[in-house]
Amino acid sequence: MDARVVVTGIGVVTPIGSGRQAFWRHLLAGRCGVAPVESFDTSGYKVHVGCEVKDFDPAPYVERLEAERLGRASQLAIAAARLALADAERAAEDLEPARCGVAMGTTSGEPREVERFDDCYVAERLEQVDDRFMSLYPCHVIAGHVAAELGFAGPNLVIPAACAAGNYAIANALDVLRAGRAELMLAGGADCFSRITYTGFARLGAIAPERCQPFDKNRRGMIPGEGAAVLVLEPLARALARGAPVYAEVRGYGLSCDAHHMTAAHPDGAARAMARALEESGAGADEVAYVSAHGTGTPTNDRLETRALERIFGDRARRLPTSSIKSMIGHTMGAASAIEGAVCALAVHDDHVPPTIHFERPDPECEVDCVPNEARAMKVPVAMNNAYAFGGNNASVIFRKVPEARP
Amino acid sequence: MNAAERRVVVTGAGVICALGDAPSAVYRRLCAGEGAIAPVEAFAVDGLRCREAAAVAGFEPRRYLGQGNLRPLDRTAQLVAAAAQLALDASGWTRERRHEHELGLALGTMFGSVHTISAFDRRALTAGPIYAKPMDFANTVINAAAGQTAIWHGLTGVNSTLSGGTTSGLLALAYAADLIRSGRASALLAGGGDELCFESFYGFYRTGRMAGSRNGAAPCAVPFDARRNGFVLGEGAALLMLEEERAARRRGAPILAEIRGHGSGYDPSRGRDGESGRDALVRAVDAALADAGLAPHAIDAVSASANGSVAGDRCEAAGLAAVFGRPLPPVAAVKSMLGECLGASGALQTLTLIEALDGGVLPGIRGLEHADAALASNGTPDGTPDATPGDLARSRPLAIDAGLVSAVGLDGNVGALVVSRAGEGDG
Amino acid sequence: MEAAAIRSKIKEIISNVTNIPVEEIGDRASFRDDLDLDSLSLLEIGVDVDYAFKLGLPEEQIQEIQTVQDTVDLVLKCLGERLAHAEVA
Repeated sequence: MDARVVVTGIGVVTPIGSGRQAFWRHLLAGRCGVAPVESFDTSGYKVHVGCEVKDFDPAPYVERLEAERLGRASQLAIAAARLALADAERAAEDLEPARCGVAMGTTSGEPREVERFDDCYVAERLEQVDDRFMSLYPCHVIAGHVAAELGFAGPNLVIPAACAAGNYAIANALDVLRAGRAELMLAGGADCFSRITYTGFARLGAIAPERCQPFDKNRRGMIPGEGAAVLVLEPLARALARGAPVYAEVRGYGLSCDAHHMTAAHPDGAARAMARALEESGAGADEVAYVSAHGTGTPTNDRLETRALERIFGDRARRLPTSSIKSMIGHTMGAASAIEGAVCALAVHDDHVPPTIHFERPDPECEVDCVPNEARAMKVPVAMNNAYAFGGNNASVIFRKVPEARP
Repeated sequence: MNAAERRVVVTGAGVICALGDAPSAVYRRLCAGEGAIAPVEAFAVDGLRCREAAAVAGFEPRRYLGQGNLRPLDRTAQLVAAAAQLALDASGWTRERRHEHELGLALGTMFGSVHTISAFDRRALTAGPIYAKPMDFANTVINAAAGQTAIWHGLTGVNSTLSGGTTSGLLALAYAADLIRSGRASALLAGGGDELCFESFYGFYRTGRMAGSRNGAAPCAVPFDARRNGFVLGEGAALLMLEEERAARRRGAPILAEIRGHGSGYDPSRGRDGESGRDALVRAVDAALADAGLAPHAIDAVSASANGSVAGDRCEAAGLAAVFGRPLPPVAAVKSMLGECLGASGALQTLTLIEALDGGVLPGIRGLEHADAALASNGTPDGTPDATPGDLARSRPLAIDAGLVSAVGLDGNVGALVVSRAGEGDG
Repeated sequence: MEAAAIRSKIKEIISNVTNIPVEEIGDRASFRDDLDLDSLSLLEIGVDVDYAFKLGLPEEQIQEIQTVQDTVDLVLKCLGERLAHAEVA
């Protein structure tokens, strides 16, 4: 358990920009990715906005496979993986395939494939179902497609832990590397904009009509989004030996389950995940300088999340910078905590933390320093990434600065 | 205590599958060569060339889960929660004991419930989005069965859902074993579950990979048989209670077997290149053996994932032959009787091997008549010179100290897991 | 449709969602205090009631119902308004 694992590459595809530099620039500038939904007709809904990745073109990223024979989540994942490897200054051809693995999180896998099936079903035209439906749809194909595209033959897994899935995948990759089962892991998450997801959250009344305002007194809900993030994870010793860029160390994680309710979170579980992550990391709560919140912007989530933060950080929870980038890119589902993991690594590396935008009125029930509206320049020796999901699945991951690495 | 000192043992099992709901009974029926493949009754298959599956007929969740409100759980979750109840009972984790100790769950699944997901969407399409069902939406996430099972049984430890297609169940066992070895958990339920439903049945039918789904071919889903032309779907859930050995002995738990090691990998050709697939399986098995600290000759039996798939079975036979040479250890292929149970398969294969440690009999491959010539030249599943297909088809007495579970997925995932008799409590 | 028939249908819906036997659901039972329902179950019941009587209820009205009697009254009111509309037309 003593092998140290670091982030050496970051690839992101998001509603406010793709690639590390563009994404980070727009994030610190507080750009908002909300726009009218274009993926499907929302005229039968009360809400009409979402955070889609507009004009995404998989062609530049999908080289070995055929882009048109892949679901959109796989396309997003492959793009993020290619961007991450390039960022890590690694060419897939130079790696030993059997020692390179993939761990990806997702909420829905390839939902558009089942949506197409459903369209045929309700039209009573099952014969029009694509013969490839069952080859394209199951969620495990996301990690499979990334590996097939890159020729990676190491451990391959999808962890569909819903809205915390990215953190579960990063945690798994950390364990795979520590156990010596691989020398390089691509870890992250991907989800595409889905009619099923949108319909469900709309029915729950959880979607905000215009914008996502985490921790604001007048917050009205989340905004569904899509995207992908992949981190290149390697043992620190190898990264140093090859002079790789090192963003941060993935220091530890904590998982827990509420065992309470499918859709309603409970602060006990969230607090246990945070406590466990800190314990494994050997970091005291007082060393955490930044928290990337789950921060969906629903009235309940942000309130309960604040209670959980108070249990771990006590009074300091009010002063601890705790932002939610979901205010800018929406809730990208299984990709969310992977993208937020990238944000933590970048915050640690670049001495900046992103804001929570659209913040107007403090909520006495959410007394956190949400870094309102403006990014902040500050040292971040230790960052904590929190994610909570349907099914009561909670995951916290700790990122730490690596002073000895190439800046 | 470092990782090498933390050993992982199996202290109980729960199963719901087409051949029954008790590990010993399922094993007996497997040894007796009883098939469970029958005409599909759960949904209409009119007009399809494939009409059979190994369903859990007449599943009554209340028999296992009592009188609580089952409405929040869909069929997949009910199968998993029922198997969990059986595994908790078998391993002595009473509700009182669960209050004092955090238990986890690592569930392998291919779909969660594609039926729930599809039905939710279809209702919104036909009735309008305002009539989408809120409780069904909660179950459209693929981790729903794991979450619902945790709620039902109060499992507050690590709760992870693992997906690697038909290798999911094996990957979940491996994932859970590593959580115990690294000290993150001391007791978890691990295994897998998937249901039989129209959506996956029809989808697989349309891929042409289901036995008999291509025009003009009579269905043959006999693993490793020359006539094979695809798989038959099954369903079920199987969970093993995995515990850190010393903790298990301290609480006086029954120790059924030890999980010795595992390995996994991926075939980047996704099953299209036989050599690439074989090599991926060889690496996974080699890694599992190294992890277990065992040489190939220490393996007394293999519980294979072969399901009648033309390329998949060939890949598995070739990989096993490459690792073990000749003669191969005796090979069982339980999908000849249970069908392809997707996420549950790896756990069902493992459970069979664990039962055989004590039972002393390895189930035969039901229906095997003509071992594939291509397989024979590359090492039949049982390469001993005098082994005929008839020998492979029959169950045989066998003393097993250690066995291998192998898994070849439909599109690239491979995995291997080594189980053995539990050593004495010398730690 | 009579109040009794509406009440009976509503209780059937509640029973399906909650597993509480119809005969144990009082006419004036409060969803939260008497039946101990969570918000997801409440919403499910609201959607099912709306669907069963084809009411097309606004979100806010679904969230306002607190008791079995509230629900019966709401259904009666909606059906009454629809009838009035039909007569005017």
